[in-house]
Amino acid sequence: MRSKMGIDILERIKDIDDLATLPSIGVEVMEKAESPDVSIREISEIIHRDPALSARVLKIAHSPIYRRASQHIDTIQKAIMVLGLNEIVNLAATISVLDSFSKRQSPHEEGIRTAFWNHCMATAIIARRLCLTIGMRLQGRDFTGGLLHDIGKLILYEHFHDQFVQAYNISMENNCPMYESELHIMGTTHMEVGQYLAKRWNLPSFLQDIIRFHHDPDRAEHTDLVSLISISNLLAKAKQFACGGDHISIILADQPAWRLMREHGYPMEDLDMERITFEMDDLGAQIKEYISSLSDHQTGEPVQ
Amino acid sequence: MNNDAQMNDENFRLLRDFVYEKSGIFFGDTKKYQLENRLSMRLRANNLDGFDKYYYLLKYDPGARKELSALFDSVTTKETSFFRSPQQIQAFKEKALPEILSQRIKDGKKTLQIWSAGCSTGEEPYTLAIIIRELLAKEISEWDIRIFATDLSKKALRSAKNAQYNEYSLRSVPPDIKKKYFSNTGGQYQVTDEIRTMVELQYLNLNDPRRVELMKETDIIFCRNVLIYFDDPAKIRFVSQLYDDLNPEGYLFIGHSESLHNISKAFKLVHFPGALAYKKE
Repeated sequence: MRSKMGIDILERIKDIDDLATLPSIGVEVMEKAESPDVSIREISEIIHRDPALSARVLKIAHSPIYRRASQHIDTIQKAIMVLGLNEIVNLAATISVLDSFSKRQSPHEEGIRTAFWNHCMATAIIARRLCLTIGMRLQGRDFTGGLLHDIGKLILYEHFHDQFVQAYNISMENNCPMYESELHIMGTTHMEVGQYLAKRWNLPSFLQDIIRFHHDPDRAEHTDLVSLISISNLLAKAKQFACGGDHISIILADQPAWRLMREHGYPMEDLDMERITFEMDDLGAQIKEYISSLSDHQTGEPVQ
Repeated sequence: MNNDAQMNDENFRLLRDFVYEKSGIFFGDTKKYQLENRLSMRLRANNLDGFDKYYYLLKYDPGARKELSALFDSVTTKETSFFRSPQQIQAFKEKALPEILSQRIKDGKKTLQIWSAGCSTGEEPYTLAIIIRELLAKEISEWDIRIFATDLSKKALRSAKNAQYNEYSLRSVPPDIKKKYFSNTGGQYQVTDEIRTMVELQYLNLNDPRRVELMKETDIIFCRNVLIYFDDPAKIRFVSQLYDDLNPEGYLFIGHSESLHNISKAFKLVHFPGALAYKKE
C-alpha cells in the first residue's frame, strides 16, 4: 500500500517540466545503438551535435579506466574504433544523463552529493571488474548500469531536497538502508522514482530494470545484469563507499543476486572474492581519477 | 649495486601473485612500495641485482624452499601493536562481538570464549579484553568470559605476561582508553590488572592437532598472520580444526590481507565495512 505522500511525490514529478525532454542526445544515442543497422558514422554524428559532450567523451577515453591502447584518440570515430561502439554509446549516454542534473545545484549538503557520486563510481568500477572476472558479455552495460543505478536518489536530491536530506540523516542515524528511510519520510523510494523517470526518458529497458530492481533482482527481467549491479552495489558499501547509513555486514553467498547468478551457471563458487576485495583497496584513487576525467575543471564536480 | 634494484610493474605482479599463491597474503597495487622494500632485503641476502632474478630463484632454484621461509619472514609484519588493523578491530567491536553477545543473551547463557591464536607479546588479546570490558561495562560481572591467548614463543609469552609496553605499541589507542586501562610507569605503560586477569596466556603449538582440538566452543578466533607459516596441507588441516573449534555463528579473523581462498570452503566469507572475516554457520 502506497501512502498518500508517495502518490504526491510521483504526481509532482510528473509536473516537473524540465524533466520531460532531457537528455535527448543520450537517449537518441542509445536508441540508435539498439537498431540493427547502426553505423559508427551515425553514432558519431549524433554525439558531434553536442561539442561539449564530444569533448568529454574524448577526455574520458584517455582516462586509465578506458584506456586500451597508447594511441591518441582525437575523434569520436576513432574512439569508437578503439573502445568499441557499445562502450562509447554507454559513455555518451551516461554523461548526458548525468549532465541534466547538475544545473540545479544546491550549494548545501555537498557531503551527500560527494557520497552519492563516489558510491555510483565505486559500483560501476566494481561491476566492470566483476564482469571481466566472471566472463560476462555485457557490452559496457555493467559500467553504465553501475553509474546510473541510483539515479532516483539524484532526482529526489534535486527536486525534493529537504525530504531527501531528512531521509538521508535518518538512514545515517539508524544505520538503515536509504529505501527504508525514504519510504518512511516520502512514501516512495529512489527505485520507484528512478524507474518513473527512466521510463519517461525512454531509457533502454536494461537501465529501467537496474534502476527499479537493484535491491530486488528476483523481479528483474535482465536478471544477470541486475544481479551483477546488485552485488557491486553491496560491495561498494562494504568498501565504505555508501550513500546512506547502511553500514552493513554482508555474506555475499546468501544474497539473492548471488544465488541467481549461481543458478544461471556463473562460477560464483570459484571466484576469489578475497582477492577481488583486496584489489579494490585503491578504489578511492580510481574514483578520483574518473571524476577528474569527467570534469572540465579540477573541481571534483563530475559534470558542469 | 643491489640497493638500486627497482621493482617494475611486471616484477611486482609476478612476485605479488607468487606470494599470494604460496601464503594467501595479498599485496594490493597500492602496496607495491611495501613489497619492494621488504623483498629488497632478500635480494641483498641472495646477492642478486634484480627482482626478475629473485623471482627466478623462487620459482626454479633448488634452494627455493629455504628461500621461501625467509621470504615469509620478510613479508609478515612481526611488529604488533594495540588496536592493530583498526577496521578489523572495529568489525569485532561493532559487529561480531555484539552479535554473539545478543545471541547468548537470547539463549539465556551468558558465556563468551575468545581465542587469540598466535598472540605474540599480548597486544592483541589485551585489545580484545579492553573492547569487551568497554562494551559490557557494569554487566561484565554477569558474564563468564574466557580469553585464551596462545603462542609458540615462550619469550613472547613472558613478555605478554609482564604486560608492559612502550609508547609506540600504544600509538593507536584512543586517549580515554589509554587513561583508563594503562598506568604510566616511567615511560612504560602497564596494562591494568582488571584487563590482565581477563586474559589466559598459554603455550600452544598450532601444529599440534591434539592441542588445537582442545580449544573447542570458542566464539571468536583471531589468528592473524599465522597461516603463512604452514604449507598448504597443514593450512587445510589447521583451518578445518579452527572451524571445528568454533561455536555455530562464530567468527574467524585472519590477517587483514590474508585469504582462505583454496584453503577452506566451510566458512562463509563476511564483508564487514572495510574488513573481511569468516563465519561458521
